[in-house]
Amino acid sequence: MKPSVASLYQAVELQQEIPPLLIGERANANGSKKFRELLLADDYDSCLKIAQEQEAKGAHIIDLCTAYAGRDEKADLTTMVRLCANALKAPLMIDSTTPECIEACLQLYPGRAIINSINLEDGGVNIRRICRAAKKYGAALVALTIDEQGMAMTSDDKVRIAKAIHAIAVNEFGLRPKDLLFDCLTFTVGSGDAGLRDAALQTLEGIRRIKTELPGCLTVLGLSNISFGLAPQARRILNSVFLHEAVEAGLDAAIVDAAKILPLARIAAEDRQISLDLLYNRQVEGEKDPLMRFIDHFSGKKDDPADQEQGPARTTEEQLFYKLMDGDKDGLDDILAILRERFKPIDIINQILVPAMRHVGELFGKGEILLPFVLQSAEVMKASVTLLEPFMDKADGGSATKILLATVQGDVHDIGKNLVDIILSNNGYKVYNIGIKVSAETVIEKAREYQVDLIGLSGLLVKSAIVMQESMPQYRQAGLNIPILLGGAALTPKFVAESCVPGYDGPVVYCADAFAGLKAVREFEEGRLVATSYDGAAAVKPMKPGVKDVVLDRSNPVPVPPFIGQRYVENIDPAVLFPLVNVEALFRGRWGYRRGKLGVGEYEDLIHGTVQPQYEELIRKSLAEGLIRPKVSYGYFHCHSEENSLFVRAEGKEHVFTFPRQREAPFLCIADYFKSSRDGGDIVGFFIVTIGGRMGEETARLYQKNAYHDYLMLHGFGVEVTDALAEYWHGVMRRELGIDGKRSGGSNGATTQAYQGSRYGFGYPSCPDLDAHLPLFAFLKPEAIGISLTENMQMVPEQTTSAIVAHHPQAKYFAV
Amino acid sequence: MTTAPTDRYICANCGYIYAPGLGDPMNAILAGTSFGGLPEEWVCPMCYATKDQFDPLD
Repeated sequence: MKPSVASLYQAVELQQEIPPLLIGERANANGSKKFRELLLADDYDSCLKIAQEQEAKGAHIIDLCTAYAGRDEKADLTTMVRLCANALKAPLMIDSTTPECIEACLQLYPGRAIINSINLEDGGVNIRRICRAAKKYGAALVALTIDEQGMAMTSDDKVRIAKAIHAIAVNEFGLRPKDLLFDCLTFTVGSGDAGLRDAALQTLEGIRRIKTELPGCLTVLGLSNISFGLAPQARRILNSVFLHEAVEAGLDAAIVDAAKILPLARIAAEDRQISLDLLYNRQVEGEKDPLMRFIDHFSGKKDDPADQEQGPARTTEEQLFYKLMDGDKDGLDDILAILRERFKPIDIINQILVPAMRHVGELFGKGEILLPFVLQSAEVMKASVTLLEPFMDKADGGSATKILLATVQGDVHDIGKNLVDIILSNNGYKVYNIGIKVSAETVIEKAREYQVDLIGLSGLLVKSAIVMQESMPQYRQAGLNIPILLGGAALTPKFVAESCVPGYDGPVVYCADAFAGLKAVREFEEGRLVATSYDGAAAVKPMKPGVKDVVLDRSNPVPVPPFIGQRYVENIDPAVLFPLVNVEALFRGRWGYRRGKLGVGEYEDLIHGTVQPQYEELIRKSLAEGLIRPKVSYGYFHCHSEENSLFVRAEGKEHVFTFPRQREAPFLCIADYFKSSRDGGDIVGFFIVTIGGRMGEETARLYQKNAYHDYLMLHGFGVEVTDALAEYWHGVMRRELGIDGKRSGGSNGATTQAYQGSRYGFGYPSCPDLDAHLPLFAFLKPEAIGISLTENMQMVPEQTTSAIVAHHPQAKYFAV
Repeated sequence: MTTAPTDRYICANCGYIYAPGLGDPMNAILAGTSFGGLPEEWVCPMCYATKDQFDPLD
């Protein structure tokens, strides 16, 4: 007799004339939002309707699951089984992992049901109890290929676990092979995860082998996981194509939304081909990888309106995936509690959260989502892991790739390094972030102590690039050869390839941003990480902006300053700074709200609806909490120039500032803007301004509490407010010198220099060398307003900036 | 993809606006040059950011 199950009214063969047997998945509190809401409202009659609708749409069997946190699963399930037993012609699949619920339902059910499911996750306890009940009440059994190590990924593991389950069910409990339906599990091919590229192949091979190696047994599959993370219409097609392939491989039954399976004949040949390429991981010479081709192919197609009308009917796995995608932490604990009933915490992380973060990273790479939203997703990741950690074994995650991160000696900038930390640690890697101003000796010591697989070094300053270059031989002498990733504003691929790579034996890799770092770590895992190389011939040499033909006027008048010498100013109202904040640089540059693929209107909506309110909130917060405390040390001094040097007289001493000169026309040097002693000498202004240390402290606090998004926002805000203070004070000085004219001030003025004279920040393109801070500190004495210097001549707090002020009408920005 | 010669672009790093009607005298770019028509090695005349740091404004 053919294997069958039965309701009160009819028997249904498990092996259909035209396979597969379709098992309706919608009467599931985890899988269907609608069903869950009805259940939470105790509306059992409407729950029953969902079961009946599926029968009408062609489901042969109805899966019934009432497990939901906070509900009495047994009471709900027995109530629904009673109702379904009378009202449904289709036999039931009792979906629970709790033995006593299963036993209670089998006692009630007046037919032959299927139990969903057994596995070896607990090493073999529950499976024995459920098999005993199945034997006693005459039920069929779905068996998942899960054991104590987790869900089987490879066909070998799937078959091995299936055989172990078979041995228990058949040999110990006397069930017949035809009572068993093995679910080989499938994982998404939609995440881009290198380890899952062959997920479909492994599943298909598992099905094929179970059918031959365990004769008489049946196979079943929860289909929709295969396309997890892809767009709805593309999923429908991929699921349908995959079902066809699985049936060819020997699949007997599929757990599906019966209404959403398309007959193969209704799928366009091109859609089918691109789906098959993805499922079979077929690389085509000279084309993108199969996933990218699949996404590109379907990206232009509109979703079926029917899908949208029905609204998001998502499984719990999908809900978590979308929570992360949307950066939404609400209700995360409930979702995770449900998932923990079915999966190990480490599997929730590796199978759902990490693929979701990967997907977020890919969308960022394609310019489809912006950095602040990536950080919100990372916060969901972090919050999820924190919620899962109490339930994890110590050993879990011990095999993750380990990365040491540090900002190099003398450099206090940590935003770049911390973004790398956020992105790597929330993509499943183990990060040891050992802070700022870290010496090479400490890096070596910690790399050994933590046994890390890679080292990441960061630094914003030009000097930091030199520090990196000079430390390479030190790492070599210490016997290290693990890859070193380098990141920082002053680095270029050329510098890394020519100046860093030769000094070290392992690969030295330039990373332009945190995602380049993530890419490098993945390449390392795949064994294909190589040192950065630079092809000088193919490279584009950037232009050097500036007027090419300059004859400097020597007859310009020397303005009369209100005083000579140094002064402190501390009573500046922070509110005067906000009109001078360069909001374009803040929104687009610091915060990453680039327009990308958005239309003009969409971008305006984003700015007015999201970004501007965030900015206003930061102004309110910083005023309320006293985060901006502007302080200035500045002065006017007699001076004269001589070739590349400016000789400044302060407090009876002469201080020499030597500036670099352009090596091509028009060969400019800052000293040129000041008169020589022969021309009668000149007046120079200097300033050091700071918004104080509170902003930095609050920024650090946000990072510590994993508020990644707010951290990025406040950090960028602090940098631009500091720049606004420099802009404000430069305006004050122009006014004091009587050169303010009519068009000064405003962010527009700042970016077009529509005012007389110029200020040159130390460490910026006209005078990149920070060593000028040494003479500057000697006479501006900013220590009195809380500013100090690091060994690399960098000012602390970070929210501090310095400049030399030239009044010459032809003084403009240039780069040496 | 070509851009109409009137389309302006803004530097995400400093807010400088490239307007084709003005060109960019600092880089010897003639008025009437579209953003797409700027050479690959062109950089922001104010902050030296590369072309990929620019957002369309119109």
